[in-house]
Amino acid sequence: MPIESISAQTSGTGRPPAAGGVIHDLGYQRYDGPRLGRQRIVAALAWHSFRSAFGFGRGAKAKIVPVIVMIAICLPAIVNAYAMSRGNPRVVDYDTYTPVLRNLIMTVFVAVQAPELVSRDLRNRVLPLYFSRPIKPGDYPLAKYLGFTAACLVVLEVPLLLLYAGSVVNVHGGAAAWAQTRALVPGLLLGVLWAVSLAAISLFLASLNARRGLATGTVAIAFLLTYTLAEILLQIETQAATNVGPRGPGGEPLVSLGEKVSGLFSPFTLFDGVRRWLGGTNFGDNVPKVGAFGAVYALVLIVIVGLSLYGLAARYRRARLS
Amino acid sequence: MRASPPAGQAGPQLTAGPVIEAPVIETGALTKVYPGGVTALAGLTVAFPPGVTGLIGANGAGKSTLIKVLLGLLEPTRGTARVLGYDCVRDGMRIRQLVGYMPEHDCLPADITATEFVTHMGRMSGLPATAARERAAEALRHVGLHEERYRQIGTYSTGMKQRVKLAQALVGDPRLLLLDEPTNGLDPAGRNAMLELIERIGAEFGIPIVVASHLLGEIERICDGLVAIEAGRLLRADTMDSFTRASQTLLIEVEEGTGALLNELARRGLPARPYQRAVLVPIAGDDTYDAVRDSVAALGLPLSRLEQRRHQVEEIFRDDDLIARPAHLEAADAY
Repeated sequence: MPIESISAQTSGTGRPPAAGGVIHDLGYQRYDGPRLGRQRIVAALAWHSFRSAFGFGRGAKAKIVPVIVMIAICLPAIVNAYAMSRGNPRVVDYDTYTPVLRNLIMTVFVAVQAPELVSRDLRNRVLPLYFSRPIKPGDYPLAKYLGFTAACLVVLEVPLLLLYAGSVVNVHGGAAAWAQTRALVPGLLLGVLWAVSLAAISLFLASLNARRGLATGTVAIAFLLTYTLAEILLQIETQAATNVGPRGPGGEPLVSLGEKVSGLFSPFTLFDGVRRWLGGTNFGDNVPKVGAFGAVYALVLIVIVGLSLYGLAARYRRARLS
Repeated sequence: MRASPPAGQAGPQLTAGPVIEAPVIETGALTKVYPGGVTALAGLTVAFPPGVTGLIGANGAGKSTLIKVLLGLLEPTRGTARVLGYDCVRDGMRIRQLVGYMPEHDCLPADITATEFVTHMGRMSGLPATAARERAAEALRHVGLHEERYRQIGTYSTGMKQRVKLAQALVGDPRLLLLDEPTNGLDPAGRNAMLELIERIGAEFGIPIVVASHLLGEIERICDGLVAIEAGRLLRADTMDSFTRASQTLLIEVEEGTGALLNELARRGLPARPYQRAVLVPIAGDDTYDAVRDSVAALGLPLSRLEQRRHQVEEIFRDDDLIARPAHLEAADAY
């Protein structure tokens, strides 16, 4: 037995138990220390999931996509800082950031990392090990969701903070700095909206597939397809409204219902619709002035996120041991 | 030393004090009927003593269902189940804190090291970060993984993976280990090493162990007791001693005249019975050997094999109990 030979060796060459020395007892030791409750275990799993979303605790390969994503999404903020240091006004907005670029980067991030969090465990059949521990089956998806929401939040908010830092150092006077701060806050809040929604949708879609590649494909296609669909519909409807639609008192084309409905098909246009409904004025994802119809955007978003979370929980409701 | 009493010892004391052999698992008329009408457990009443106990049953006998109920992950349709004194329906969480479970199937990620994995599983068992790291190193050392533990699990042999699975069950300092087919997929040498390891954990670490297996012949040598179930019912539960005592038999093989030998042995009052091409006689004492010798000599038969068989638990099941199997099955169906 290798075990016995090793323990014999170690005890033979081990230090004598001198004063202050440690007696190396190689036998089995009971654990009499504290045991953490369910909440702390869920927190530990959430923290573990957060770390794995950035490839920590895995090999170098697992860090490639997160690093590229972080660099890519921070670039506009860095470019802005450079531009402002040359005397230009701020070129990137806090609430929309760089609309199409951010949509694509976030799609890549959740499509690659959500499967990292849920599909791997399904594929490796690690779940029985979690279910046999002092947590409830629903705690597993909850921890994954908390961890991944936090990870998305980092990807969304860090560039905004960089943008803010780069802007504040380049403006002069307290009033100007205060204006930057006031503009930042809605951006940060929208980041939270994005994070809780993207994490829910992508984790649910990824949890349907144990094969990581397929899960990544599912998430990427779902986000890209719906986004393309919404954008095409928006363009068609906007053109129709511009050419033949009714005009408002000022002669500008009225926003047709078709245009408003077109924005409901993609999470990204939903985010933008909600942003406009809440008073955002910057140009974003082609979503027209939604007006009161923005409430429908918010409602649809809540329903989608709710269904995703329900689906995610349902996926793990039955604790399977095989 | 810590002032607060450790949470792990709030339950019934099973390890300290005089050895009163309170059962670690107790079920009473435990029944589980799945939606759809499949009866997995049909009124199972059994107690598992401390020590190493084999849970024997063919695939589909109800072993997995029993384990799920014991871990508090599946609510029984009827009946009761208690693990370490805790009710499986009410105190599932507490039970899962005290029980280490090793699943039958592969359950390891390939792309992280054994150390990281077992540490994480220690955290999931409720250990604080530092304790989890220390105990993961300990557990891996106990199962015989040394320098390899810093390598990715994907590079391991099946035997090493089984050891990691055992280590993750051990990391939380369980008061009971549930091992589901721990020798699955191992070659004979690996199987022996795994069985020795389990025996050692049971004997030296003092952790009660339930080893579920469909291969009785394999695990019987490390078990103190056996529980055999079939079709969700108890077939037999006893200590290993009484099993082997009952199974002390003499196998006699003659090249011809098996029938005459059977008659002669019966005439001398020995309950001989045919077994394959040979004859089996239960050993009552030295007299049995004499009687067999005299019988063979009297008939002048060409004796080709005379063998004392100790480990025949499997044959006992096959011969005595499994013959009664149709009745069991009918009873289960009629339930």
